[in-house]
Amino acid sequence: MSRREYLKNQKQKGRRLIGVFPAHYPREILWAFNSLPAEIWDPPLDIEGANAHLQPYICSVVKLGLELILQGKGDMLDGFLFPHTCDSIQNMASIVYDYLGVGKPCYFFYHPKAPYRPSSRRYYLEQLKSLVSRLERDLGPMDENELRRRVEQGHHLASILREIYDARRRGGLSASNADFYRMIRQGEYLHPDDFIPLLEDFLKASRGGDGKGPGVILSGVLPNPPEILNLLDELGVRVVDDDLLCCGRRIPMHTTMAQDPFEALVDSYFAMPPCTTKDSPLKGRVDYLLEKIAASKAKGVIFYLVKFCEPEWFDVPCMAEAVKEAGAAVLTVDVDLNQGLSGQLTTRIEAFVEMIGRQQEA
Amino acid sequence: MSLVKRARYHFMKDIGAPAVMRLSGAGRKKGPGRPKPGFGPGLNCAVRLKEIMTRHYFLSRYAEGAKPVAWVTSGAPVEILRPFGFYTIYPENHGALCGAQRLGPELCAEAEAHGYHQDLCSYARIDLGHFLSGKTPVGRLPRPDLLFASNNICQTVVYWYRVLAHQLKIPLLLFDTPYNFEDITENDVAYMVRQLEEMIPVLEEVSGRRFDSRKFQEMTGISRDSSFAWGEVLATMKTRPAPMTIFDAFIHLAPIVSLRGLPVALEYYHILLRELRERIEQGIGAIENERKRLMWDNIAIWYKVRDFSNLFAERGMNFVTATYTNAWAETISLMDADRPFESMARTYSLVVLNNSLDHRLQLMERLIKEYHVDGLVIHSAKSCKPYSVGQYDIKRLLMDRLGIPSVIVDADITDFRAYSEEQTRTRLEAFFETLEG
Repeated sequence: MSRREYLKNQKQKGRRLIGVFPAHYPREILWAFNSLPAEIWDPPLDIEGANAHLQPYICSVVKLGLELILQGKGDMLDGFLFPHTCDSIQNMASIVYDYLGVGKPCYFFYHPKAPYRPSSRRYYLEQLKSLVSRLERDLGPMDENELRRRVEQGHHLASILREIYDARRRGGLSASNADFYRMIRQGEYLHPDDFIPLLEDFLKASRGGDGKGPGVILSGVLPNPPEILNLLDELGVRVVDDDLLCCGRRIPMHTTMAQDPFEALVDSYFAMPPCTTKDSPLKGRVDYLLEKIAASKAKGVIFYLVKFCEPEWFDVPCMAEAVKEAGAAVLTVDVDLNQGLSGQLTTRIEAFVEMIGRQQEA
Repeated sequence: MSLVKRARYHFMKDIGAPAVMRLSGAGRKKGPGRPKPGFGPGLNCAVRLKEIMTRHYFLSRYAEGAKPVAWVTSGAPVEILRPFGFYTIYPENHGALCGAQRLGPELCAEAEAHGYHQDLCSYARIDLGHFLSGKTPVGRLPRPDLLFASNNICQTVVYWYRVLAHQLKIPLLLFDTPYNFEDITENDVAYMVRQLEEMIPVLEEVSGRRFDSRKFQEMTGISRDSSFAWGEVLATMKTRPAPMTIFDAFIHLAPIVSLRGLPVALEYYHILLRELRERIEQGIGAIENERKRLMWDNIAIWYKVRDFSNLFAERGMNFVTATYTNAWAETISLMDADRPFESMARTYSLVVLNNSLDHRLQLMERLIKEYHVDGLVIHSAKSCKPYSVGQYDIKRLLMDRLGIPSVIVDADITDFRAYSEEQTRTRLEAFFETLEG
């Protein structure tokens, strides 16, 4: 079933659909409102109308998101949620809310930025409760027991995702790179009631990879254009882990079930891997990536970056240097979404794979 | 802090710097000189401004090891650093200075050679280029003991300062100002107040001084008065003809950015204000024949300030207001030295770039009316996304609501590799025709 068909189906079941822009937000709260977050990262659209609102130096995540609204592709949605992720998303949200007149509720979610202090935790808790109040105005009262149930479900989902990532890191997953991310990214719109069994089946069916081929780690925003994953598959390269904003960087590193569901959500937020959109100290990001390299024995890191994505690009030089010092190779790729792979990029990736292949043999 | 370095700093402050200022000022005693064609007499204060800023950068060379040094973003609530005696450096001001001297691409290239992408903010690339190469037109910047940033102007400064903190292995204090998509909330204010309170032990540790609340209040008062005076300086341009241009204001805002909270900034703006009021009384305009009054949106194009100034003055067009220069005055009425933390939270989080685009549109509408603006020049700055994203809509809405013609200039604040003279000239010629039509 396509994403559109699935969402339509969910709507028919009575669920409200909330279009959610990248990246960090408490999806358990939306689930507790019997709503379904439909994340908007890289809709397959040609950019036309968005260029009348956004300059050429704005990234394609933001442009495609706005394009979706302008082309009316979000008509099925009952509202939008804009987490505070970067300057461009922030201002795009303001364009949508202040100027476009979408005629649907728009919710904003500001999460505190690092370095974290005691005030950060308290403010995040207040922000969660404030989001609930705003949603209640449009969607009716939220049942706190339902929130508790959804938080537990979120923990369960995170634990399965960690298990899948662990299996892949150890070379114990047979799924191709393309299949792996196709599966993981379904979490951007599937309801957990559907996504969890799907993941469990995937894990069962994919266990038992041979762990052959050099391993690489992807770092960046999202695995798009997906052709890169196919190319890595063809070249016999395993993506053994990732530091991708839309994937691994949103899986809490550990979860504890606090008595209060809001406190549990706070714990989850602060247990997320370090992320540039949360202003995590760079040292934390470097250490996190080096730990991944050590744990997975990856031969290289591909910084797989969306053009004009300032949050990511600032961190790359320090991170790349640390990766090289740790003895792994680095490839930095600058992409526009949904544009496929150019011949030049294919050649660069092939050369990179040849290099890490030689290291593997040595 | 080293005793020797402190003694050297004080010697340079009391004897060395005045001597250097006398020497460097000796050739400029005659005042601003003959007016350029199309312009009224230059501002006498320009000489004093240059002295103040030269002294600031000159003394900074001796601050390291003598005083705690902080590198600070332009929108950070610097008042909280003042009672601890920090010597403050503003990399954005340094970037503007490098940009005005057309050194942007050279310093940016230093950062790019180390992997910093050409699409990143050029203030940041200049600063990182300076950090990695030591190149600067001001001799030398002191190594910081602390980095102090606020994301009330952009998230970029935090990405940039994180890199510095990582490289220098020093603390980064962030004043996190929740963006106001809608109205500011009490939770937001309480969060910011708590952050300020949490900063104090860190500042005490880095500076080796105890927090002095009385001194803090006093310096907050100086800061408020300086910003208020800066606002009055800008307000003089409501007069027709305006006694200064926004290009003058781009230069004269240096003290309110870099020396906010210090008596020298307050004294300077009182002198400048006096001169501007005298010019108003005598009917002296910044340009000879002020026929059209314009507004500027966004940070200056630093390497084009002089050229643009001439280009517009030749046509009797004067820029009389800017959202950029206004940013250090617009929320100052919220500052209250008796409630410094809470009022500081509001003052700094309600600035133009931390508010929704609708807020900015309303501000621009107000400025257009108050300053009798005939047209608008919008700088779409590749370096500054929070300032630039939304400008296309603002342009359209201002035309619809107020009939204000405008032009968009695609450029960058300091990196002139992102600027096309030909394209800009063509657009400006069309704009001039519309304005004259």
